[in-house]
Amino acid sequence: MNVTCKDRERIFEDGTAAEWAALAAHAAACATCTEEIRTWQSLSVAAKELRDYSPIPGLWSRIERALIEQDGRKARRPEGKWWFSFLPNVSLGWQTAVAGAFALILTASVTWIISRPVRDPGKQDPLLKNAALKEVESAESAYKKAIDKLAAEAKPQLDTPATPLLASYHEKLLVLDSAIADLRAQGGLNPSNAQLRYQLLAMYQEKQRTLEEVLGAGK
Amino acid sequence: MGTMGLALPWKTRITSALHEPAAIGRWETRVGPSEHLTGGPAQAGAKPANEDAALAAACRAGDLRAYERLYVLHGARMKNLARNVLGSAADAEDAVQETFLKVQRSIASFRGQSSFVTWTYRILINTCYDARRSRLRKKEVTTDDDSEETPRREPRAPGAHPSLRIALVRALEKLTRHQRDVFLLYEVEGFRHAEIAGMLEISEAASKNTLFQAKKNLREMLEPPRSSAG
Repeated sequence: MNVTCKDRERIFEDGTAAEWAALAAHAAACATCTEEIRTWQSLSVAAKELRDYSPIPGLWSRIERALIEQDGRKARRPEGKWWFSFLPNVSLGWQTAVAGAFALILTASVTWIISRPVRDPGKQDPLLKNAALKEVESAESAYKKAIDKLAAEAKPQLDTPATPLLASYHEKLLVLDSAIADLRAQGGLNPSNAQLRYQLLAMYQEKQRTLEEVLGAGK
Repeated sequence: MGTMGLALPWKTRITSALHEPAAIGRWETRVGPSEHLTGGPAQAGAKPANEDAALAAACRAGDLRAYERLYVLHGARMKNLARNVLGSAADAEDAVQETFLKVQRSIASFRGQSSFVTWTYRILINTCYDARRSRLRKKEVTTDDDSEETPRREPRAPGAHPSLRIALVRALEKLTRHQRDVFLLYEVEGFRHAEIAGMLEISEAASKNTLFQAKKNLREMLEPPRSSAG
């Protein structure tokens, strides 16, 4: 195998053993490559100075104690993790008072919901009405499809990012996808919440921008 | 790129090491699986997959001896990595302890997509950066006069050349987080790119490229200033 000075950087980055051997053979007659290899290797040698595996007295016993304590706390916790499991720690009188207050709030809320006047449809409502909701959902679905197409185009670059920048974009997109999934899950529970829809739209827009940047970076 | 070498106070030592006949051959073997820890703490990838799975299963079952085994195999290396990220031995010990606690808390959610040890190191790295962030926040709150963001460095074990270490540590602080992580994991801790990819959740190619960029940047930072006369 023949290598030249031009191959040096590529071999530094991702050379096979055979390519390294060929570079070494080339370096025997090339002072520049000899010096470059020496400089490159000196970083690896210098890195060893940051290695100190001397024993750490007492660290394991400290960790062991902490693990036992944490395990003990976990074991003491009741099996059922329902949200009012703190009640056994509260006296019976307080439990009755809390239950009474809760019942009162519930009754008042139900009464208010049933008896509240019908609002003027012209007024702005933070909740989306049925027709508006359908419109939003259909637009959102079309937008999502368009972004998915963009994502499919960017996929090859993201799957094997050639630069740290692309790797960062990849990470950012993973975070955005996770946030979108969260918002969609919340939106599923409360589809009429316009605020959630706006947040979702902002996330999609950010994803679109990022994908455009990925495609731009690949050109 | 210049050919004048690095302005490192340890250059003579490195040079003599590289003049050994097998120097280039050694580099060649470094391309493959990391080997420079032979005789040191056990390597993540050197253990058979079933041992890794057995360790994970024993930890999941709450067996303290399994945690101890994990500590025996990786404790020193974990602490070294944490110290190089955090710059303090005490903070590093806290980070290692916190990592073990997080492993115990989250072991039920470990699905085996990566090796157990890789997963543990991923937790350690995240724990270290959480600690760095929290230290920076504390620093902002106390509005200390000392605004330098670089972690404080403590005296090291005898044998380490102080000026060598300090020069490299300072240069490492100027790298991006990813470049620093990959350099520390590959060059200092001796992990392979496949392992690093699992720890940092990046591809193997990205790990190789990041290491290359990190070393290029370090080389530029550590190179002596070029003479204007030349």
